[in-house]
Amino acid sequence: MRLSETNKAWLLLLPAFLFLLLPIYGLLSALWSSLRVNGTFSISVYQQLLARDAFWGSLIYSLRIAIVATLLSLGFGLLFTRTFTEYINKTSGKLAAWIPMLFPHFVWGYLVLLLFQQSGFISYMAFQMGIIDSREAFPILTNDKSGFGMILTYMGKEIPFVILMLLPIYTQQNTHYQDLVQTLGGNRWHSFKDAEWPWIFPVLLETGVILFSFIFSAYEIPYLLGATFPEMISILTYDWFYSGDWSERPLAFAAMISTSIIIGIIAWIGFSLMNRKRWLLTKGNR
Amino acid sequence: MQYNSRIKTASFWFLTSVLFLFPVVFLIVKSFTLPWRYQAHFHMHFTLRGWTTLLSENQLVSATFMSLLIGGVIVILNLLIGLSAGKALAFYQFKGKSIMDTLFLLPLIFPLLAIAMGVHIAMIRLGLADMWVGVVLIHLVPTIPYSIKILRNGYVSLGSNILEQSTSLGANVWNRFLTIELPLLKPALRSTIFLTFVISLSQYVITAIIGGGNVVTLAMVYFPFLQSASSTVLAAFSIWFALVPILFYIMVEFILCFLPYQSPWRMKS
Repeated sequence: MRLSETNKAWLLLLPAFLFLLLPIYGLLSALWSSLRVNGTFSISVYQQLLARDAFWGSLIYSLRIAIVATLLSLGFGLLFTRTFTEYINKTSGKLAAWIPMLFPHFVWGYLVLLLFQQSGFISYMAFQMGIIDSREAFPILTNDKSGFGMILTYMGKEIPFVILMLLPIYTQQNTHYQDLVQTLGGNRWHSFKDAEWPWIFPVLLETGVILFSFIFSAYEIPYLLGATFPEMISILTYDWFYSGDWSERPLAFAAMISTSIIIGIIAWIGFSLMNRKRWLLTKGNR
Repeated sequence: MQYNSRIKTASFWFLTSVLFLFPVVFLIVKSFTLPWRYQAHFHMHFTLRGWTTLLSENQLVSATFMSLLIGGVIVILNLLIGLSAGKALAFYQFKGKSIMDTLFLLPLIFPLLAIAMGVHIAMIRLGLADMWVGVVLIHLVPTIPYSIKILRNGYVSLGSNILEQSTSLGANVWNRFLTIELPLLKPALRSTIFLTFVISLSQYVITAIIGGGNVVTLAMVYFPFLQSASSTVLAAFSIWFALVPILFYIMVEFILCFLPYQSPWRMKS
């Protein structure tokens, strides 16, 4: 018996489905653990969680850092890619722009620490050049409350990622649309808005959703560069998960489920915007 | 115009140097020099101590092998899953394809910490926690979505015509895969292998949870070092994190030479 085309497709997708069971099981199991108190179903853990100031502080702080770092990475990445497409597309340019991808996030975080902390390289150079009189005069930029060090680390690591995602669009860009806009008397802004934006928007959105969710819930960088107060949500969760006190474990699960829900909502908004855009694009009646 | 393009070239290299190249050069210099003292005049003291301390750390070798083992298995699993799913998404039309696309992106979006905490108990029951196999499974979560994406794009740019042609010339599925798909997908394979290996190498918290401290990868050694070791040793260790994927990459390039029509000597003659 020969397989039909559709069945062949599903057969090829089978390994990927088997893989999907793992993250799905993980999330459901975390949800389950957050909803059970002494063997019975209850939402009391969530009531307890929402009553904690530490949770709200962490959540809002994490949201702020994630949004700022994502927008800055997207903005700079976009600007860099569209200005320098021809340079990045060469082997030398690619190698240079993608060097940060070779290193784990935490190594890049350590590097930011080496460069920007009060006893770091930049402070040292400023001291040697007589700009500051002592290392205490250098502003606190790492493990700071505003999260400057974390944002900087994420930008260093994620701008190359944004370039990676956007480069194919800019190298394969159909310039006829730009020509058309110009022929019809449009200026540079029109050409960007009408001939470029519709193509890059879906990718930018997808990249943004990936970056936001990653930064919002990552552990390594906040561990290295975060402040002790407020802490990022992942640090709080990890502390609860591994605190000697077992009663705090359900709180850890509930905190991560809340984080997942926020990410889910944002991703859903993003993807529905994206699909609408894509649909309009294929219809050609933008 | 000429003048403008020169400015552009200069500004590109200036920006990439400051943003991407300088940090790496800085790390390399740092790994060979003693920490700078504030009060003294600017002077660099060169030393090999950072590297000798790092290399004499007895956990380094075993951790490197553990990372290579886990990364190697991760890469193989990613290729198996990514090639099959990528092909299905590139060549077949079926109901719910766009849902599939979103579904395969989800593991990247939901918190890894939540997923790792969620599977932890199940892994303990199955006897996979504290084992490298368990760590391999959890490392699949942040890597598979990228593999599917890259290899799907690879198949799309390959096009289905060349595959149909080979079938009409009598090639069976295996022949076709080995002599057409693999060689022509080489760029996509390369990015997949490299990216998944680096991502696997970068995982600390999920390795710590599932590996329970028994599976000692490079990240597991690096974190405790952050508190204790000198910045010279840590800089050397940081460079090591880039050297391992490069080493892995060279090994992979060697293996890729054995694909049909890929021998470098063949091209020259």
